[in-house]
Order: sequence, then structure tokens, then C-alpha cells
Amino acid sequence: MKRREFLTAAAGIGLAGALSAGTSLAGDPKARPSEKTAPADSNADGTLVIDAHAHMFHRSKSNWKEMDRRVVEAADKLGIDQLCCSILTPKRPATAEGFQECNRWMADCMKRFPGRILGYCYVNPTHTKEALEDIRRCVEDRGFMGVKLYNEHRCTEPVVYPIVELAIELRVPILHHAGHMHFFLETQPKISDGSHLSELARRYPEAMLICAHAGGGGDWEWEIKSLRNAPSVYLDTSGSVIDEGMVEMCVDILGADRVLFACDNSMTPGMGKLIGAQLSKTDRRKLLGLNMKKILEKRKQS
Amino acid sequence: MIDVNCYLGHYAFRQLRNNTADGLLRVMDAKGIEKAVVGSAAAVTYRNAQSGNEELHREIKSHRDRLIPFAVINPGYAGWVDDLKICREDFGMSGVRLHPGWHNYKPADTCCRELVAAATEHKMPVSIPIRVEDNRQRHWLVDVPDVRLGEIVDLVKNNPQATFILASGRGFKGCDLGKKNNSLPRNYYIEICRASALLDNEIGQLVENLGADRLLFGTGMPFHYPDPAILKLKVLDIPEADKEKIRRANAAGILG
Repeated sequence: MKRREFLTAAAGIGLAGALSAGTSLAGDPKARPSEKTAPADSNADGTLVIDAHAHMFHRSKSNWKEMDRRVVEAADKLGIDQLCCSILTPKRPATAEGFQECNRWMADCMKRFPGRILGYCYVNPTHTKEALEDIRRCVEDRGFMGVKLYNEHRCTEPVVYPIVELAIELRVPILHHAGHMHFFLETQPKISDGSHLSELARRYPEAMLICAHAGGGGDWEWEIKSLRNAPSVYLDTSGSVIDEGMVEMCVDILGADRVLFACDNSMTPGMGKLIGAQLSKTDRRKLLGLNMKKILEKRKQS
Repeated sequence: MIDVNCYLGHYAFRQLRNNTADGLLRVMDAKGIEKAVVGSAAAVTYRNAQSGNEELHREIKSHRDRLIPFAVINPGYAGWVDDLKICREDFGMSGVRLHPGWHNYKPADTCCRELVAAATEHKMPVSIPIRVEDNRQRHWLVDVPDVRLGEIVDLVKNNPQATFILASGRGFKGCDLGKKNNSLPRNYYIEICRASALLDNEIGQLVENLGADRLLFGTGMPFHYPDPAILKLKVLDIPEADKEKIRRANAAGILG
């Protein structure tokens, strides 16, 4: 069963009918991940599946190569065509050298898994000059598809604005780490949430902002509601939280055009909640890949 | 499939769907789940947990062929011995479910040891959800951390005749519970809904370390979508016979 066939079947008739137990979910199980065929650029009839939020591994980990390979193998098993990835520094705030190194490795990953791994350029806005240079280099020369911002700054801080303005110029999305807790998160004092991304969107309505991981831990109901009136902000469904009703609420409040399937490397939770959510076939396809495809095409149109 | 980790009723901090017997059975039918162990979601936060057990008993009365009730017992609350007796004898509940964090006691506390002993005497399995919800989404009024797996180790060790079901947990391979040749009694089972089946593949490692006969299928419905747990079993790279143990046979052995 090909990746695309798996999801079409899973979405239509339920997972139990889509698979026979014990088999690989996608293609020839003996094929190495890098040998998998890259998805067609456009496939309106099939179910294109793009994971909008994923990661490759920092190379200070001795087994980074094996872990990268496992992510792609997991994508194969789950019917995911493409993974939009970044590599983060293990310690943050990231230095300029730190994020530049991550982005070089990310470019290498894109070469190792051509057509499967797409790259977000991760930067720390503190280092404005280096961040802007690296984003331009990554998008224009290395073929990256977006910018990844983490928690070094709240997204409403002025130091973030030049990054947003460059992303607008390059017509690429910004995936922003986010979460809303009803307590102070000591480890992430500057974490953004949906309200901050909404505020940023009011300042830059032409920016393509992706609020990260509805299921990443935190009050997801709050997060979804906080984004209701920010029509240019997308929300990705990733994270380990698999609360029933989460995906449906995203679609009910934000509309199916603003919700993006993603795992953030929580693979079966990420795909499982999309399979379980009660959505129309059309909406499911939007979430699984068509919405992200539209975002990616903005760059190509420029 | 037999799901050992379900709830019915209302939860204090989030609206649940499919939280009636009919609702849960509809989802079970759609997903191919034959039977489910259910406990009261309301009893997690009721001061008097027995009211939750009474609600559960009424709710599932005509569905006992498929819904297997476990009594939520708070051993720190007055009358728990009577409650356990009523749940067992009058309500026909087959096991107990403990929420140490929510009910303000530790697994090592005397009251918990007494409850485990009483359940064991009556051959009732003891289910311990490591969490009900992700702690990061907690309500501003409460902070109930996950049950620490290290505390479970001693409980397991000190009650070799008991049968424990450890639900909604992960990270077992980081403590004795998930290690090979750990010298612990083989009296505990691990439910898989939060353990990974890909990347670091905790479930695969638990199968290797403990054996497939020590794992149980569970979903955490209606808090959770059932599909991630079902998907884990699908993608797990273990023999079909082992999957069948996890899917059904192990639970059938425990539940009789």
C-alpha cells in the first residue's frame, strides 16, 4: 500500500479496514527511507500528507543519523509524504554559531532525503544580523521552506519584527513554538501563546504564521479560542496530547483551512488523532496536506 | 480488542464526549473494541468517590457483557472498606482503580497498602492511572502531578500476590518496572496508550524486556482518541501472536 493510499483509506473507512495487521503501511518495507519516491508536486485526487512540524536531530547526539532515519521510516509507516523539519540547538538561547550549524545540518538532511525532508531555518532573533543572513541564505540558496522560531523571545517583542518582515519578503511561513499554561513555566519564561501570535498577526497580517502544537501540552481549548480572530494564523495539531475532540475544535473554531496536520516527532499520537477526528473527507485532506501545500506554493509563486 | 483503560461520566475540568455507556459503546463498535474496563471520571474529583461508583453502576447496568466496572476507591476517605464491599458484592465490580495524586495519598501510605491488600484478598486487580490528563494543561485551581513510577516499584514489590494494571504511563524503561531481569514480581501489567511504538519504540523495548504477556491494550477513552493506541499496535514491529496477547489475551486472563 502506498503512502497516499493508506491515508485515503484510513480517512474514509477507518484504520481497521485500511490495514492488514503486521504489514508496513507504505510501499516496500525493505526499501531504505531515502529510496522512497518523493511525492508528486500536486495531487488533487490523492491524499497528500505533509507533517508541518517535525525535527531532525542535533549532531551532538551520537546516534543522530539513526534517529533521523527512524523519523523518515516512521513517516513511511504512517503514510506521511513530506516532513517539514528543523534542527534546534540542545541548549537555548541559541548562539548565532549554534543555529547556523543546525541549519547547515538541516541542508544536509534535505540532500539525504530529497523531497521527503523540507527545511525550516531555525534562528534566535537576538542575533539579528546573523539570523537575517542565515534565513536569506537558507531560503534563497539552500531551498528551505520556512523559518522556525522557538522561545528565546516572545513573538511580540520588537526584536522579532525584522525576522517576520524578511519572511514576508521571502513568502515563507514562520513556525512559532507556543503553548498556554495556567502557571508560570520557569523553563520557558518567554514562551508565546495564541494570543501573542494573534497580536503579531494584527501587526503583520500578510505574514504566514503557524502556531505550534495544539497538542504540545497546555490548555489547548484556550489556545484555539485565542486564535479565532486571527485569520492569518494557522495552528498545527502536533504534540503528544491526544485529547478527544481537540482536532474537531480546531476546525470548528478556526475553520479547516487554518489547521495543519503535524506530529512534532510524536508520531502515532500525531497521526492517530487525525485518523480519529470526526471530519469530512474534504476537511481531513486539507489538514493532512493541502493547506500546507498551499503555504509552500506561495514561495514558488514569488 | 479489550481496552483496560476507559472512563465514563463527567470530568471536572473538561467536557468529555462519548462519556455515556451508549456513547462509549458506539465508539468501541466503530473501532472494533469488544470490551472495556470503565471507571468513574467524576470520582476522580468527587470528595466522596463512592457517588461516582454509584453513577457508574447505574449507567452500565444493561451493558455488563461489554463494560467491566472498576471501583474508584479513595483509601483516605471515611467508609472506604464499606464502599469496596458494596462495589464488589452489590455492584459486581471486578477491580479497583486508584488515583493517589487526586485523592491526596501516596502509594507507600498505610491506607493504600491496606486497600491493595483488601483488593488482593478478593482477587480484584488494582488499576493505577499514572495520569488522567497531561499536567501541563492543568486547571488553575489544582496541580496534581503524575504518579511517580518509582513509588509504584515498591508497591509492586511489597504486594507480590496483587495484580496491578499501570495505565496511561510511559518512561517505564527508565525505572525498574521496564527493565529486564528486574527481580520484581511478575504481578504488574503495563497499558500502552502513552508509550511510543516508533522512534525510541518504548513498547518494543518493553516486549523485549518483560515479554508481550505483560502489556495491555488501552486507550484512555473518552479523554483520548482511541486511534493512537490502535495505530501503535498496527505499526509495532513484533510477531502477530504477541500483538494478539496485547490486544486481547492478556486482559482476558486478568479479567476472567
